[in-house]
Amino acid sequence: MSTESVVNKRVSKFKNMGKDLAKLREKRVSECVELRKAQKNESILKRRNIILSSLPDEEAVSPEHNDTLSFRIEDIIRDVNSEDREAQTRGCQAARKLLSKGCDPPFKEIVDAGLLSRFVSFLSMDDEPTLQFESAWALTNIASGNSWHTQQVVQQGAVPAFINLLASPMLHISEQAVWALGNIAGDGPAYRDILIGCNVIPALLARISPDTPVGYLRNLTWTLSNLCRNKKPCPPSFAVQQMLPPLVRLLHLSDKNILSDACWAISYLTDGSNDRIDLVVKTGIVPRLVELMNNKELFIVTPALRSIGNIVSGSDLHTQMAIDAGVLNVLPKLLRLPKPTVQKEAAWALSNIAAGPCQQIQQLITCGLLLPLVEVLRNGDFKTQKEAVWAVTNFTNGGTVEQVVSLVQSGALEAIINLLQVKDAKFILIILEAVNNMFIAAEKLGETEKLSLLIEELGGLEQIEMLQNHENEMVYQTAHDLIEKYFNDGDIEEVQVDTTQTEFEFKPPDVQKTFEF
Amino acid sequence: MSMSQTPEPSSDGATVTEEATITTPEKEKKADEVVEEEEEEEEYVVEKVLNRRVVKGKVEYLLKWKGFSNEDNTWEPEENLDCPDLIAEYLQKQKSANEGKRKAPGEADGDESKSKKKKDDNEKLRGFARGLEPERIIGATDSTGELMFLMKWKHSDEADLVPAKEANVKCPQVVISFYEERLTWHSYPSEDEKKDDKN
Repeated sequence: MSTESVVNKRVSKFKNMGKDLAKLREKRVSECVELRKAQKNESILKRRNIILSSLPDEEAVSPEHNDTLSFRIEDIIRDVNSEDREAQTRGCQAARKLLSKGCDPPFKEIVDAGLLSRFVSFLSMDDEPTLQFESAWALTNIASGNSWHTQQVVQQGAVPAFINLLASPMLHISEQAVWALGNIAGDGPAYRDILIGCNVIPALLARISPDTPVGYLRNLTWTLSNLCRNKKPCPPSFAVQQMLPPLVRLLHLSDKNILSDACWAISYLTDGSNDRIDLVVKTGIVPRLVELMNNKELFIVTPALRSIGNIVSGSDLHTQMAIDAGVLNVLPKLLRLPKPTVQKEAAWALSNIAAGPCQQIQQLITCGLLLPLVEVLRNGDFKTQKEAVWAVTNFTNGGTVEQVVSLVQSGALEAIINLLQVKDAKFILIILEAVNNMFIAAEKLGETEKLSLLIEELGGLEQIEMLQNHENEMVYQTAHDLIEKYFNDGDIEEVQVDTTQTEFEFKPPDVQKTFEF
Repeated sequence: MSMSQTPEPSSDGATVTEEATITTPEKEKKADEVVEEEEEEEEYVVEKVLNRRVVKGKVEYLLKWKGFSNEDNTWEPEENLDCPDLIAEYLQKQKSANEGKRKAPGEADGDESKSKKKKDDNEKLRGFARGLEPERIIGATDSTGELMFLMKWKHSDEADLVPAKEANVKCPQVVISFYEERLTWHSYPSEDEKKDDKN
């Protein structure tokens, strides 16, 4: 947008040329004021007393307008507190416009002006829909502020009023109430549970029908997700049971925003004890979640992946449901997605599947998860690598000897050895645990020497020896123990390593596998 | 077959004698346990505890029998068993299996959906997306690199910018009015498409 020179050339020809957007905005502002003045002049009789200052200028943001702001608020106060319906509506609308500003809406000023109680009282005026709508919108925006703001709204008794408004025959008013309640629920578990206690859920669900417009459903799904959100405590079980069936239905729609928020809701519900996970998987939603993990929209993939990640952190049964639904076919793709947060979450899910019984570990191998795992071990960002290392360690913990051999053959050993240079002590300990587990497997085949050799070839011995000097005591100790146990055979250095002896063989009784490096 | 086991002190003086031949050296860890069948003198040796369940309030374990295939696995009530080591081993494995699982690492790195939302005027929609009817164009600019019109909409005081390309298609008459209002005649008529704005 460096059109300065071009601009200068044509400045004389255009009204708006040669100015940056901020100035253009100011220009628009004055433009708007002018337009409004023109309109005012037409109806000057009614508005004689409040010509310039009462109608808010939506776009005046700069500090010089502060005086005008308090002028406006004065007028709003007067209007809203009057007994005249029209004035009230006008004042409400003015307040609403102020509160809808893109930048720095005057939440505190409006609250301090003592207007909230009036707004809340307007909510129940079923014969004045415009007033209801404007005040609902104004309150929605105040409730979208910080906790203090939301508290002010709730303390004026807005909650029951909004819940009643859900049943309004005017859809846009009902929808506004949905939004406001979503903001209140989103404040935290306390207000969430107050809403639930006021039976907000049945009232919300009553508005879902085949004719409900998409926009309404979007708001409703988002509000539901906030009712599922937050822990300490989790939402009460009975509420979860009420919300699950509609959430499942919403998850089968096609609108992206609805899908995203519904997935977030599920991700909150699965983030907890295994009982909570149980409630969710019993609905049969797992296949749909796996499907959504494959969606092309990142804002759908993220919460779907989080949900499945939570599910496989549950029991073996829960994990099996995810596997049966095909999660292992989608994970490789996500492990390769050029988005670090997705890779990290995918690696985390993988690590939890690898923490399961060997039958599930076998499925990891069968479905080709080893290669992408090694890739992220090599190339992922640190957080992802951390999760991937957990996957390796869990794998070596629960896997059969043959499975561990497969893991080593896939290049995972080399990859984790290369990670030993990282400073993080906990990280190093996880890697050393994996190495230890590999030796345990090797022991069963009587092949520990071969493994030691291999590790040495990969530069691992050097690393582990250096770790004996690590500042962390556990690291030092573990490294030392490893060396003592498996590398202290003085012959190792002297063993002649022919070129042919780069082969590292595990020979389990049944299966002949060769380790080639 | 040599026996390397020592007679186990089972609860009712199990008949672990030289007749019990089903033992192998490697079972030092899984100490030979014997489950006594009610009627017979046969001893069966538990090789491993595979699973646990509760039936009618009673705990039962699924047992793999040494020398038998997996098809012969049976569920036995807890009180019939005298293999505390094997049971402990099974339970320990369950525990570590669950310990292997790690719960969600907290917030999803700022990717999460907003906990609160403010409703902006026309919900941040701009230009034609606001669904309003064009009234007239009150200005034009190309400081963004693209020619834009400042559009005044019907029933709204807030004007905003729309791309000329879009306006030319969606409200050509409004665009034409804008240009016509600003036509200026020079000494020779200009036929180019450039905007000649009368200041």
